[in-house]
Amino acid sequence: MTTTFRELVIGGVLVAPIISYVIGTIAVALVLRRVLYRIKFASYFSNPQIAELSLYVAIFGLLVAIF
Amino acid sequence: MSTVADQRTSVPSGLLAGSWAFAIRIWIALVIALYVSFWLQLESPTSAGLTIAVLALPTRGEWMEKAFFRLIATAIGLVASIVIVALFAQSGIFFLLALSVWMGICVYATGLFDGNKAYAAALCGTTVALVAIPQIDSPQLIFEASVARGSAVVVGVVALAFVSDILAAPDSHPNVVVALNALSRRVLDYSRKVTGAGAASSMQVCKLLQDITALRPQISGMAIESVAGEARRAAAHATAVELVVTTCAAHALQTTTQANTAAYRSQEVFGAIQKDAAQQSTREAELNDEDRLASCSAWLVNDLFEKNRRIHESMNALQRDAYPTRQWQTPYFPARRAAMTQGLRAALAFAVIAIFLGITGWPTDVRCLSLVAVLIGISATTPDVRGFTTLALIVAPISCVLTGILLFVVLDGATNFIFLAIGLAPFIVGSALLIASPRIALASLGRANLAFTLVLLAPTNPQTYNPETFLVTCLFLCLAAFLLFVVQFVIPPITNEERLHELLETSQRDLDQIDPSPHRYLAAEELLYRDVVRIGQVAAAAGLTAPSSSVDQALYLLDRTASIRRCIAELAPLANSPLATVVESARAAVIAGNAIEIENSARQIWSAGGPDSTAVLPSCSTLLVAARILGTAPSPAIANEGNER
Repeated sequence: MTTTFRELVIGGVLVAPIISYVIGTIAVALVLRRVLYRIKFASYFSNPQIAELSLYVAIFGLLVAIF
Repeated sequence: MSTVADQRTSVPSGLLAGSWAFAIRIWIALVIALYVSFWLQLESPTSAGLTIAVLALPTRGEWMEKAFFRLIATAIGLVASIVIVALFAQSGIFFLLALSVWMGICVYATGLFDGNKAYAAALCGTTVALVAIPQIDSPQLIFEASVARGSAVVVGVVALAFVSDILAAPDSHPNVVVALNALSRRVLDYSRKVTGAGAASSMQVCKLLQDITALRPQISGMAIESVAGEARRAAAHATAVELVVTTCAAHALQTTTQANTAAYRSQEVFGAIQKDAAQQSTREAELNDEDRLASCSAWLVNDLFEKNRRIHESMNALQRDAYPTRQWQTPYFPARRAAMTQGLRAALAFAVIAIFLGITGWPTDVRCLSLVAVLIGISATTPDVRGFTTLALIVAPISCVLTGILLFVVLDGATNFIFLAIGLAPFIVGSALLIASPRIALASLGRANLAFTLVLLAPTNPQTYNPETFLVTCLFLCLAAFLLFVVQFVIPPITNEERLHELLETSQRDLDQIDPSPHRYLAAEELLYRDVVRIGQVAAAAGLTAPSSSVDQALYLLDRTASIRRCIAELAPLANSPLATVVESARAAVIAGNAIEIENSARQIWSAGGPDSTAVLPSCSTLLVAARILGTAPSPAIANEGNER
């Protein structure tokens, strides 16, 4: 079965679905950052940078899988 | 003569290793960006490579913030490109006119901001130059060209994000902490010096203030680099504002002591603050006029060390990743007229070069015009526009030779991507090592060489090796730098004198038209910070290599403005007290800048305050300082400077 992606149409111009997913990821990440700061997310990892990056990739993947 | 061993010890530990790690990160990111661009068959892989070159910054915070603004500015630039081409592509002259106007607007906007916001404004212009100008003969392809450019920029940003995170690029946070710690020590030393018998020259004070405000762009970048970034930025901003407020308070005290009053610098001052509060309350009932001065002096000294304590508090918050107790904004002072002049001249310079290239009728002159626009845009973000053009003129031939060696000696017809990646390594790593250098000239040279090398190489899949195309590109790159260099003699960029003139004029105007009502958006401390940003601009324009009357005048005006604002702020809590009438007359005297009336008002408030002086001590003390500062005549050099302006 082929996965279909919903195209975003702005003024008749088709925008690649990846753009919508990236924007969605940024929006979710911005909200999530406040929660992560409160729970001291960075203190649980030896390399918090990779942990954060992995989290963002996971959010992106989830958005693609769900929508 | 210093030995090699001495030179090694003078290099901070880890700098060399850090520089190599940075250089290798940039090379890997570039290789990945090019590989992904080839894999996705993007039409503009050079843009992905250029994105890496532009974002080649040592710390995560710096490059991430720049990447954020690069994405936004690219989007704006692409929309502008489509609009300009859609409206003016049929008429060559109007097309060039529209491009000139757009370049002017972007350069003007660049002058209104600092750091990455200024870069974003410039990029809006250069994006149009890179996308719209090459499509002058094929406007129907503008949308495809825009998509290609946008996709390549995104690929570059994503590649650098992965490489930086996986190879553990350092955060900005530790660097900012070290820098702010060093500055807080300098401010504390200065405070101690002022409360003792010492004083600092206006050059030293100006340098200190300039160093504090110079951290502003670096602090802004901290927000994006981690989940604790917002808290870190807020704490760092609070520290910077507290540093500025304390330095200005110390300088006001220094000016006051220089104006008169041995009481300020006497040991009695220290004695007064050591006394027990309970003893003070009984003693203050018997105060005479001299005691009042001594109490105010003591309060001022005490207040100075209280401010130093607040700096310490903010620093603690910064180190604990916590939000500070008091949060401040750090507004930037835009020199609007200088920005406007710079924008007009940039538009004119672009138009002149466009007309010249149009007259020559060369078939590929649009590429040269694109490069001219890019140079105009980048130069607008540098403090020395002509210096940048000169640097470009020097670096362009060097890059041509290096890229020629890379293409026709190192690669020599290789089409395998692995060979391209290995061949690029020494050139990219070498340039990145120069970028990591603490010397600004070397860093600029490295950055320009990295960008020029990628422009000249124009990586494609498979790589093309056409000597004629390469020579034409080299010729146009050198010609673009040369034309801009020549045109800047006819239409010179804004000079430091012109910039100084506006900065001092606005300082004087702010003092003359000081608004006693609270600012709609900014607190008094934030307004002071904005004024100090202007002092930093004065210092940059005047240069701090020799004593300057402009710097003296700027500090003189800052002292007066700050003392008036501080008096208004300290008097505000008393406005609804039984002392309202006296406070109102004091406020009027402060706004009028009448030193004698201010001193009288301070005396009246003190008397009306009764035996418990705690409530009126802050206002009396600040009024006293204001009276001394506003009553001090400008030095002959400052007076001459003001008259000339």
